[in-house]
Amino acid sequence: MSSIYHGEDRVPVPPADAERFTTVCSYCIVGCGYKVYKWPMGKEGGPLPHQNALRADYRNQQPEQVGTWISPAMHSVVTERSGRRFNIVVLPDKDCVVNKGNHSIRGGTHGDVLYAPDRPTADRLTHPLLYRGHSRLPTTWDEAIELGARVIKATLDTWGPDAIAMKCFDHGGGGGGFENNWAVGSFFFTGIGTKMASIHNRPAYNSEVFASSDAGIAPLPSAYLDAELADTIILIGANSYETQSIYFLEHMLPNLGGGTLPLKQQVLPEELHARGRMIIVDPRRTSTVAVAEAHAGKDNVLHLQINNGTDIALLNALSRLIYDQGWHDQDFIIRRTNNFAAFQQANLAQSLDEAVRLTGISKSQMMQAAEWIAKPKAPAARRRALFLYEKGLIWGLKNYENVASVVDLALLTGNLGKPGTGCGRLGGHQEGYSRPAYPGQRPPVNVDDVAVKGGASKVFWVAGCNPVGGTLNAQQFRASLAHRTALVNQALDATSGGSLDEKVAAVMTALDKGGLFHIVQDIYPTETAQYAHLVLPAAQWGEMNLTSINGERRLRLYEKFMDAPGIAEPDWKIMARMAQQLESAYRAEGKAEMAARFSGFTWSSDEDVFRAAAAGVKGAQEDYGDTTYAMLKVLGTNGVQTPVQGLENGLPVGTTRLYMDEKRFTFIPAAWPGFPPQIQALMDDPRYPFWVNNGRANHGWQTLYDDARKPYVMGREPFPHVEIHPQDAHRLDIVNGDLIELFNPYGSVSAMAVVTDSNAPGHVFMLFEHPNGWLNSLTTDYVDPATTIPYYKGTKAGIRKIGTMPGLNEQLTFIPTNQA
Amino acid sequence: MSDVSRRHFLKLGACVVGGACAADALPSLAQATDGGDITTLRTTLPYPRMKLAAIGQLIIGREQLTTYPDQASPVVLVKLGRPAINGVGPDRDIVAFSRRCSHMGGILNFRPGTGTFHCPLHYAMFDAQKGGLLVIGHATDNLPQLELEVDAAGDVFAVGISGLLYGRQANVFA
Repeated sequence: MSSIYHGEDRVPVPPADAERFTTVCSYCIVGCGYKVYKWPMGKEGGPLPHQNALRADYRNQQPEQVGTWISPAMHSVVTERSGRRFNIVVLPDKDCVVNKGNHSIRGGTHGDVLYAPDRPTADRLTHPLLYRGHSRLPTTWDEAIELGARVIKATLDTWGPDAIAMKCFDHGGGGGGFENNWAVGSFFFTGIGTKMASIHNRPAYNSEVFASSDAGIAPLPSAYLDAELADTIILIGANSYETQSIYFLEHMLPNLGGGTLPLKQQVLPEELHARGRMIIVDPRRTSTVAVAEAHAGKDNVLHLQINNGTDIALLNALSRLIYDQGWHDQDFIIRRTNNFAAFQQANLAQSLDEAVRLTGISKSQMMQAAEWIAKPKAPAARRRALFLYEKGLIWGLKNYENVASVVDLALLTGNLGKPGTGCGRLGGHQEGYSRPAYPGQRPPVNVDDVAVKGGASKVFWVAGCNPVGGTLNAQQFRASLAHRTALVNQALDATSGGSLDEKVAAVMTALDKGGLFHIVQDIYPTETAQYAHLVLPAAQWGEMNLTSINGERRLRLYEKFMDAPGIAEPDWKIMARMAQQLESAYRAEGKAEMAARFSGFTWSSDEDVFRAAAAGVKGAQEDYGDTTYAMLKVLGTNGVQTPVQGLENGLPVGTTRLYMDEKRFTFIPAAWPGFPPQIQALMDDPRYPFWVNNGRANHGWQTLYDDARKPYVMGREPFPHVEIHPQDAHRLDIVNGDLIELFNPYGSVSAMAVVTDSNAPGHVFMLFEHPNGWLNSLTTDYVDPATTIPYYKGTKAGIRKIGTMPGLNEQLTFIPTNQA
Repeated sequence: MSDVSRRHFLKLGACVVGGACAADALPSLAQATDGGDITTLRTTLPYPRMKLAAIGQLIIGREQLTTYPDQASPVVLVKLGRPAINGVGPDRDIVAFSRRCSHMGGILNFRPGTGTFHCPLHYAMFDAQKGGLLVIGHATDNLPQLELEVDAAGDVFAVGISGLLYGRQANVFA
């Protein structure tokens, strides 16, 4: 047989007495519920329902869709610290209201990413590593923490808190959660007090939706139920079939297909209902467009194929068309908003002709969208529109105005705080943010530019992210990191056999001369860790208890079901250990005030940190009040939707949808700002004729940190793909599977060509992150000055054919993904 | 693993004798035991050897629908008209796959124009020429592909399956 991957042709079933745990997917915001079964190696359940924990009859074929089936990718055999081996099955939960037994390609392959010394996950970090002898070698926690703490303390004492920079996860789900986030924030903000902080996927410490919070709208105001009730769903900059798959499949598509009509009738009996419609704003004809059309019929789906970066002009044009028709919600504007005049002056001044020219979308398509959003269903019945946006808008031309323009459109049409409406993020990863306040100001400092490339910081701690490929203008970032960390390498190389005192002294001398001491905390030896002096092994999902919320604020407990590999520890424990070392060092010097900043890291369990973190979410959309792990255990995979209103009969009472009260919102003026100079320069240069759009793909998650260990996924995409239009491909003599180079003054990257007309000629789409080719080598250093959020989604490049990889074409598929 | 497979094999035998199997599984089992010609290739399950088609009767792009390894497992055999991964026959273009989507078991439709299998449940898509490679969708494995052999008379036999069929603990029922 060929090298096309297939799993085994049988799986063991859990015996009736298998241990059971509940958890939630470690990946995307949707947060599908899963059940975990664990039982000792050498034992198996039988095929009769009473012989196995799934109560399934495996003497017969299970029925489609509703059957109980363990795919080989849902099973693994793990080895615990005691040396005992266990079978583990991670199965989608039919009782969870989010996924109802469904799963994505990502969540359905969790068996493949559990640590096992004899599977592709064998390269998990098991021990701390220290730069020694021109390599990174295993060491003890004691040595790692002592060296790290001494370098941090000396740096803090010499240059102050901003000499310590960090770039850390802030998410829920895998590796994050309220627990780990609280510990990270307590260490860097309460302890160190640094402003040189940045969040895993961006160069600063910022919200990605400042404009929404300025308008008074939390990022996740709606429930998934609203997608079942809406008249029109508007997806902006989101490819939800591939990136919020189960929200799309289980909650949006049924509405488009008419399957939720009985529910609409029941919840909203006073008005007329039809099957839902969908508007999709995307420069690319995505699989989401194709699937929506296949399910709902082309007449119920409107794809606005927008030119890269022009969302503000489009959204303001829609606002203007709606206002000119008198379809706005005057009552809502008067009762529940402020600042309409400023909006009118900025947004409604958008010329329609200019919008057509900029966006490439016709006036008639704009009018159709305006009708679907706001033309009343009946004289007294407004349409219910649900605005959902994600990275295409957030990481678009100008973050603040991009988000403001959709928020304004939602306010203009009164689409908040009512069933079937809303305006919020679809989300990427899950949320689990709880931290003491960031000590910096808005707009926050650009840590990539100032602390790393600019040299303002001397220590750089990276946790749970891979910025050498994932940050903007990544090639320059790598060059700077390589240069500055090498100065410390040389200093350490000269201390062979030396004492800790000598090592710290050598490091400090190197830092003084522009060096950078680099700490990486992660689960795998990432590309970023290749520059590190200290690598700290963290526990992942399933190896500790953690809590997070999904895209409708559903809080659940993700139970620990196996040991972390080697001596890896949960992130919160690593932060606590470092803090305690610093506390005792300051105490020994009699510096009580400094010691106090690093005190309080005395938690003894995951739940201790969860309870401490409740202080950081008070009054926020995440507020979980007095909820405990025991309560969440009772609530299982359905959990409770935050904010928690209080306890009733010992269980938390949640909030389905925000803003059902009379809360007032604020219009945020947002006029079309034009292109920034970095982009304009590329637009004016004929050497870089291609617009490079980018995004995720169905089969991969984020930097592919887990997927790189899934042979099924890497078999699908061993190199990052670039979708190029047949006309452009023909002109450049490019065929499917050719290796091509994309280049501009910021950097260069190679990728694999897929010839398809999903993009307009002159526009290509590249996978956002892949360890065999980082798109971000091409992104400019431009960030929105108001928010310090990059324009990741747009850059320009030249393209050159490199050649053909022998054997590659035959093993890969080049069938366009946007046919359903 | 080998012990388990042996157990499965013994159960298979007992099942035929005792008549305790699912009724729709019986014909293929009978064939497997009657023929006494069980090929397991790289797997350890007792796959039957079953004739699926005669090469001379195949028309390019037209699906041949049948079942394997038992009647509860719909499969499709197709002559693609271009060489395919694991393709058999003189043109290396005859391939066969499970018709149950490896996501949640939906029955797949074949489109000869693109050579793709499509699932009506959640829109998964697989490439027939490339060993059932997932094009897009939420399956957690590529589409299970039948291992085929062609005998001297030009008859195409299924002798095994790569990948686990949806809805089963093992491809061959216990």
